[in-house]
Amino acid sequence: MNILLHELKAYRKSTIIWTISLIMVVALFMSFYPSFTKDTEEFRKLLEGYPAALREAFGINLDNFFSILGFYCYGLSFVTLCGAIQAMNLGTSIVSKEVREKTADFLLTKPVTRTTVLTNKLLAALISIILTNIVYLAAATLLAYQVATEDFNVSIFILLSLTVLFVQLIFLALGIIISVIVQKIKSVLTVSLATVFAFYFLGMFSSTSGEEAKRYLSPFKYFDTAYIIEKSSYEASFLIIGGIVMILAVGASYFIYAKKDIHSV
Amino acid sequence: MNVIEIKNLTKTYGKARGISDISFSVEEGEIFGFIGPNGAGKSTTIRTLLSLIYPTSGSATIFGKDTVQFAPEIKKEIGYLPSEVFYYDNMKVKDLLNYSASFYKKDCSKRIRELAEIMDLDLNKKIDDLSLGNKKKVGIVQGLLHEPKLIILDEPTSGLDPLMQQKFFELLEEENRKGATILFSSHILTEVQRLCNRVAIIKEGKIVTVEKISTLKENTYKKFKVETKSTLDPNYFNLAGVNKLEVKDNLTSFLFKGNINEVMRKIADIEITNLWIEEPDLEEIFMHYYEKEA
Amino acid sequence: MNIFLKELKSHRKSLVFWSIGVFLMVVSGMFKYESLSSSGQPMNEMLEGMPKSMLAVLGIGEFDISTATGYYGLLFIYLLLMATIHAAMLGATIIAKEERDKTSEFLFVKPVSRNGIITAKLAAAFVNILILNIVTFVSSLVLVGKYSNGEVVTGDIVVTMAGMFILQLLFMVIGSSLAAVKRKSKTAASLATGVLLLTYVISVAIDLNENIEGFKYFTPFKYFEAKNVMFGGGFEFTFVLLSGVLIAALTVVTFIFYKKRDLNV
Repeated sequence: MNILLHELKAYRKSTIIWTISLIMVVALFMSFYPSFTKDTEEFRKLLEGYPAALREAFGINLDNFFSILGFYCYGLSFVTLCGAIQAMNLGTSIVSKEVREKTADFLLTKPVTRTTVLTNKLLAALISIILTNIVYLAAATLLAYQVATEDFNVSIFILLSLTVLFVQLIFLALGIIISVIVQKIKSVLTVSLATVFAFYFLGMFSSTSGEEAKRYLSPFKYFDTAYIIEKSSYEASFLIIGGIVMILAVGASYFIYAKKDIHSV
Repeated sequence: MNVIEIKNLTKTYGKARGISDISFSVEEGEIFGFIGPNGAGKSTTIRTLLSLIYPTSGSATIFGKDTVQFAPEIKKEIGYLPSEVFYYDNMKVKDLLNYSASFYKKDCSKRIRELAEIMDLDLNKKIDDLSLGNKKKVGIVQGLLHEPKLIILDEPTSGLDPLMQQKFFELLEEENRKGATILFSSHILTEVQRLCNRVAIIKEGKIVTVEKISTLKENTYKKFKVETKSTLDPNYFNLAGVNKLEVKDNLTSFLFKGNINEVMRKIADIEITNLWIEEPDLEEIFMHYYEKEA
Repeated sequence: MNIFLKELKSHRKSLVFWSIGVFLMVVSGMFKYESLSSSGQPMNEMLEGMPKSMLAVLGIGEFDISTATGYYGLLFIYLLLMATIHAAMLGATIIAKEERDKTSEFLFVKPVSRNGIITAKLAAAFVNILILNIVTFVSSLVLVGKYSNGEVVTGDIVVTMAGMFILQLLFMVIGSSLAAVKRKSKTAASLATGVLLLTYVISVAIDLNENIEGFKYFTPFKYFEAKNVMFGGGFEFTFVLLSGVLIAALTVVTFIFYKKRDLNV
């Protein structure tokens, strides 16, 4: 419990900054919605005449693109990207922070098991992410109500917003396993930016080639917003894969961390 | 009862440094010195005891419990002070000590205040702003605040001024009187000589000897210096047990280990003007162990 | 000279990763172009009908994305983002890492002046960003050339890369000056990246909303936009001057503040 509180306190500032940033991104996007709808009335009709391949290339789904939900999806991809960086930062710093600041000796000579240490740190990161998501969700929903010109399905809106949390959880798990395996991480930011962007680009590759199987390669592609809007649910196979990735990464992290030699500096 | 028992402990890092086949034990209530030069394996041994690193083979027990298996349980009663202390950024001394105390299921606030007073430590300062010596003091308080039964110190005195060092040793002796066992690793012999009952000498990852400080001195050689009226024949003291014989004008000096009566009889037979017989200090014993194979 | 070489060596690995990153970015971008153009549809017609705000949301802006150069203009903003993130982080870490790694006591007791150290470090960073720029340039040249169907691309790419280089320099000194000014230089890299993303968001906001056009002086991403330098008459003198002044001023700030800095141990 004491470790949990200590870690939460350490994350407090960054959680606040990240939450505000995510809300700013979504607020920025939402603020354009009114002018967007005004502009697009005519265009919508025009678009209907164009081939499906072209629309797909831009990710335009005719039914949804002009609704607030469709518009939200665009902003959401940036929010997800930012959120992934936040989660990756948290995950990567969990163990590497102790090594870098040379406090591992302090913590690990206390009467606690390494499993307890990792569990508490993991919980703290989890709480930080969940808090971010709760505040973000509240703010985003509020904003959507402010700018929406017509009624929209709130439960789909929430489903869409929750994808941020799921992607974050996957990256949190990835971050932890990296921080446990790599002996010494000098700059958390470098590692996390590199990983997140690598997967982001991987996602861009797979979306153009259109092959279903390639979507498994990037967590950014696990949640197809068009599918969610249409079916108001997630794709089970990707949820399962995401879950497996998380369990494997976290499980392996516990295993490796328990056996790991903590070297002096 | 043995508080620490190390059996055939080996830790290798690839093919490089490490410790091999180390065995010794530390009895309850003693202050045990662990000496050797830099890189001999002191920290590796200590870090293995604390299960910060895991043995390649062999094992160690503390309070009769295996150090790997029962690590958290054992650590309740261990206080550890590393040679270099680094603590979390952005914390006050007080916060860090309270955080440290929160790991032990007892109220340590009184002890924290006592220790801080003894060590002359300002609890309200930020750790970032402290000098190296003051950070060290935080480390000392941090290691002792839960009144551990076993105190493990890894080259603890660096960065402390002589006055603080003195206070720190008094503190350790006080803890020892109250029943704490102390494992004290160092390469500074005088402090080991001053504080410890027994020592283990480690060299290149192996234990050279484990002795009581007093026996260590007894069982080794004595330094003889004999001044005579005329220069002695260099072969005069040609006895078994004589080492490093040097004749310089009227002064003959040598080291001797063995039955002292034989030398005394030899000396009685000649006309001497002055005689010195000295106990070697730990430094010389230490050098002795290190030179033997060099 | 020894510091310069040491710095080059210690950033070699990260430079290789970033180079691979920009290369992949160009590859994936042009890959996407191929799939777009191969759909063989009159894309321009559709795009012409699109309202400006929607083009901005899609990130297309005013480019004629049916041509390779036009599409490259679209891709350029991502390349620019990557290169500037690299520059900002490099500028910050190259200054801050001595304190982070606790090597400042090693380096600063050597018989060299702080100015000498900073000069060597900035020179090393300069070489790094130059190399990244060249890598981007060559990858763009080869790959865009491949899809251009004989269209002349070199001139366009040269001007965008020149613009990118100025911005790389600018963000490098933003990073280094932050590291020199801040008492806790460890956080300079995050802060520099934050500044960068903020100015980027502002530039997107300006695209979406013409009323805040005046803010363009505050965001470097507006200084050398591909649409202006490629298709709108090259560099604007005001912005070149402004960048030059900023780079010079921030370099001076780096030197002055670092010279006066109390090094943390």
